[in-house]
Amino acid sequence: MNTTATNPSANKDLSERALGALLLAPAALLLAVIVVYPIATLFWTSLTSVDPNNPQAGAAFVGFDNYLRAFDDDRFWHSTWNTILYIVVTVPGALIVGLGLALLANQPFRVKWPVRLGLLLPWALPLVFAGLIFRWFFEYNTGVVNNWLVAAGIEPMQWLSTPTLAHWAISLTIIWKASSFMALMLLAGLQTIPKSLYEAAEVDGASKWQQFREITLPMLRPAIFVALIFRTITAVQTFDIPYAMTGGGPGDSTETLAMYIHKTTLDFLDFGYGSALAALMFVISMVATAGYLRYTRRSTSRSGED
Amino acid sequence: MSELSLRKVVKAYGTNRVVHGVDLEVRSGEFVVFVGPSGCGKSTLLRMIAGLEEITSGEIVIGGTVVNELPPRSRDIAMVFQDYALYPHKSVFENMAFGLRLRKRPEHEINARVAEAAAVLQIEHLLQRKPRELSGGQRQRVAMGRAIVRQPKAFLFDEPLSNLDALLRAEMRVEIKKLHQKLGNTIVYVTHDQVEAMTLADRIVVLQAGNLIQVDTPDGIYNRPAAKFVAGFTGSPPMNFLAARVGEGGRTLHLAGGIDLPVPARRVAECARHAGREVTFGLRPEHIGVAAAAEPDVARVRGSVVLVEPLGSDTLGLVRLGDRTDAGEMTGRFSPDAALRPGQPIDVALALSRFHLFDDKTGVAIRGADW
Repeated sequence: MNTTATNPSANKDLSERALGALLLAPAALLLAVIVVYPIATLFWTSLTSVDPNNPQAGAAFVGFDNYLRAFDDDRFWHSTWNTILYIVVTVPGALIVGLGLALLANQPFRVKWPVRLGLLLPWALPLVFAGLIFRWFFEYNTGVVNNWLVAAGIEPMQWLSTPTLAHWAISLTIIWKASSFMALMLLAGLQTIPKSLYEAAEVDGASKWQQFREITLPMLRPAIFVALIFRTITAVQTFDIPYAMTGGGPGDSTETLAMYIHKTTLDFLDFGYGSALAALMFVISMVATAGYLRYTRRSTSRSGED
Repeated sequence: MSELSLRKVVKAYGTNRVVHGVDLEVRSGEFVVFVGPSGCGKSTLLRMIAGLEEITSGEIVIGGTVVNELPPRSRDIAMVFQDYALYPHKSVFENMAFGLRLRKRPEHEINARVAEAAAVLQIEHLLQRKPRELSGGQRQRVAMGRAIVRQPKAFLFDEPLSNLDALLRAEMRVEIKKLHQKLGNTIVYVTHDQVEAMTLADRIVVLQAGNLIQVDTPDGIYNRPAAKFVAGFTGSPPMNFLAARVGEGGRTLHLAGGIDLPVPARRVAECARHAGREVTFGLRPEHIGVAAAAEPDVARVRGSVVLVEPLGSDTLGLVRLGDRTDAGEMTGRFSPDAALRPGQPIDVALALSRFHLFDDKTGVAIRGADW
């Protein structure tokens, strides 16, 4: 009697587990097909090479040769360095501009929609369009930027054909494009801060600046972190805007890692090496994100302790 | 000397007036409670005193200074908010110290003042915690502590107990009263709960639709309501109302359902001035009981019990006066010994020395010269 009393529940556990697995299967399968398979293929491809003199022979397994080749490749280091430059300039740049826009949009406007629309527009614009528009702005002869410079009595500049200036022009464009998404995320964060906190601070004697430092910034920290992670990951993959504005030029001075991968794979058809570069870019993304996550985890556990 | 004066204070949003010219003097050390239903303007009035809302016209004076144009931080007031508004990322200590830090008080003074307030509120063991680690009652204490350390001219409380459950609310009510007795601060307190108003206030300000209806002591509000609105707002259950007509010579009140009540001799003169007038007759539940031996000024009315609500200490009985279809009903507060049962016939005693009359249109109390 005892055994029959316990067995059904054991059976039930087993069948519930099987049912659970069954219900999870479609999602797991989908993930396997669209995430695991491509990544695995990429990694596998990165371990192979096709002999350009004998393409009929197909891809041969070469181990980590492609990775070793990347470490010796000046162009890899140069494009990685450019990518890091864009990260270092545009992530804080977009954060500051985005925070300013979010604070502005959070003001009690009588009519809110034009402000929201203004925030959304740069975000909704395709990256390549933004690149093309700003390329035209920075154009030497007819661009609006040089137009202003001339009007102000300053010599026009070779914005897109001087390496340093091209870097700045591209960074400005990326900041313009990225800060609206930043602003949207930070605005959502701002709107979760209860109004009564500001009123309490006002009664306590805090000036507007003190309210910003003592309430807005600390309360906005989670939103800032999420926005930073998003922006950093996108910045690692920077491609469209420099591609549309300079094509990586002059020379390869503004070329990013993503552009180099694109060239290697699609122009030179070197799939093995391109895949190895892509895998390295993936590692950079992971390292950057892990850094943020570690910082947030540490700060939340610290504030939980006291 | 009055600590706080409101002079013809008006608040309007566009053309929509929500506070209609309020005049009020609050004495130093006085506990004044603004009470009224939602939307009566009590919170708006408090927020105007705090400086969180602009004044459309009129004048607010705190400690002898007109503060109309001053920001909240320069008004020397402290406020306790309905949701407590504790800074979530700061410890209890830092929450309480924040106002002093902003005023650049020396560290030893901050420590001393926070410690003192924490001792008064019995929250010393919580000082290093974050607000999210506190219960509702504890947060409430911290919010009060934050106000106390500032030692302001006046404390403003905006429905501070409405987020607490009933038991805790009663407990905190006692705490607030004790605190006021101990510290003797000027307090302006907003609530929609008449029990809070009655128990806490030195004076109650009853507001309705942006107007002061009555400003009086709890005793005055309860026993001499200036309007039907006030009478119907105070007491639990509130005053009973029935349509009535004042008879010839003011000697009789004709109630709905064909009930005629003799007016006590000392109130005849007062009623005679309103002879023939349609009025609202009001009587509190505690002035309705089971008729015993004949007493002076007590009318005996035959009726029947409609509904019984036992409260333990007493029993509320809804009684129908008379047996006509248009008979009026009143709630009386009976002794549990009366053992009321629904449907049971009953002789009720109405203490007519205590009745109130109100204008049936404006609701304004019709008062005799004697009160």
